[in-house]
Amino acid sequence: MRFNEKEMVHLSRQPSEMVAELGMRGPKKGDVVKRRLVKLVVNFLFYFKTDEEEPVGALLLEQCRVEKEDNLTFSVAFLEDAERKYLFECDSEEQCEKWIDSIIKASYEFMRRNLIFYRTEIHRLTGKDPLEQYGISDEARFQVTNGLQHSSRDASSM
Amino acid sequence: MKLNERSVAHYATCDSPPDKTGFLFKKGERNTAYHRRWFVLKGNMLFYFEERDSREPIGVIILEGCTVELCESAEEFAFAVKFDCARARVYKMAADSQAAMESWVKALSRASFDYMRLVVKELERQLEEIQEATGGGPQGRPRASKRMSKSRSSSSSSSLSTSSSSSGQKNHQDEVQLLSAGPKENGVAWSKPRPGLANGSSDGVSSKAPPVPPRRRGASLESPFSPGTGCFSKLHDWYGLEVEELRAQWLQSQ
Repeated sequence: MRFNEKEMVHLSRQPSEMVAELGMRGPKKGDVVKRRLVKLVVNFLFYFKTDEEEPVGALLLEQCRVEKEDNLTFSVAFLEDAERKYLFECDSEEQCEKWIDSIIKASYEFMRRNLIFYRTEIHRLTGKDPLEQYGISDEARFQVTNGLQHSSRDASSM
Repeated sequence: MKLNERSVAHYATCDSPPDKTGFLFKKGERNTAYHRRWFVLKGNMLFYFEERDSREPIGVIILEGCTVELCESAEEFAFAVKFDCARARVYKMAADSQAAMESWVKALSRASFDYMRLVVKELERQLEEIQEATGGGPQGRPRASKRMSKSRSSSSSSSLSTSSSSSGQKNHQDEVQLLSAGPKENGVAWSKPRPGLANGSSDGVSSKAPPVPPRRRGASLESPFSPGTGCFSKLHDWYGLEVEELRAQWLQSQ
C-alpha cells in the first residue's frame, strides 16, 4: 500500500511532548528488544534508531489497544490481530503510565468522541450548538452518529 | 520507513464511519493521466481504492501539514493537496462537479489531527467556562434566581429558544481565528459568558459538574463515557434521566 513517506518523515520531525528512549520489541516471535527513540506525533508512534534522523518505522494508533503488561512495560496491539503486540519497556512505572495515557488519547477517534461529548454537553447546558458559530455544524466528522444531523432544536435536552 | 500497513488498511475498511467517500480523479505520479479512484476519508487519512468494492486500498495520503487548494488545470473541478516539506509531492485531484469539488476541499482542509485537536480544546474550554459560571455563580445574584436556574420546567425552555444565537456574526472569521490562534484565548465573541446564561435558562443544572469522559486504560476502543452512548438517542436518554432526577429534586424543594 502506497503512502506519502516523505511527508511522514517530515511529520516525524515535528515537536512532541512524548519522546523517550525505550526498549522496543516487535510482535513477531523472534523479535528481540532494541533501544529505540520513540516519539508520539499526532496519531502516529514513530521509532528511530538513536541518532538517526529518519525513523525506522511508524505505527498508526487507530483501532489499537494499549495495555499495561507489567510495571515497566506496555503493549500496543491492533484490532485485527490482538495477539500481535508491540512491547515497550520504560524506565519507571510513572513513565510507563504516562505513555499509556498519551497513546490512548492520541487517536483521532478518541478526540472525535470527546468532541461529540463536549458538543452535546454544551448544547444541553446552553441550548446552543457550539459549532454553529464556526459554520462547521454540518461536518460529517462532528456528528453524533454517522450521517445523522445533530438537531439544535432538540426539546429533549430541556 | 516501515508502517503498520495491515493495520492502516484495516482502519480504512473497518466499520468506523468514514468522514467522506466518493469518486475522484487522481493524477498519477509517473503516469500523468488522471485515474478514477474511490476515495475514503477517515480522520486524517485519505485512502484510495481502485474500485468502490475493492477490499484493500491502493494507497493512503496522510493529511497532516498540508493545504488544499484549487488549482489551475486543464482538468475541470481540480484541486491539489500540497505539503509544506521540501520536495514534497503535490497530489492533484479532480471531482465530477463544482459542488463535489468544494465539498472535498472543505472536508480535506479540516481533516488534520491538529485541527480536530484545536476544536476539541476550544469546546473543552467553553465547557469549563460554562461550568465555572454556574458553579461560582454570578456576583450579586439573588438566591432565588439560582434556584430557578436549576429547574428544567417549561418556562426556562421557552427562554432558551428565544435567546439569540450569535451565528450571524462573522462565522468564517471566527473559524479562521480559531484556526490560527492556537490554544490560547482568541477573543471570539463566544468566549465571553453571556449574562443571559445565568439568568434562569440553562446553567446550574446540578451541583456536581457533568462527568468528564473517563480515561479508560486498556480498552482504548470503548466509548470514553458511559457504554452505550455511542448512539445519540441513547446519549439523550442518559441525559434525560439526569434531568428527570433534578426536576424531581427541585419539585421536592419547593
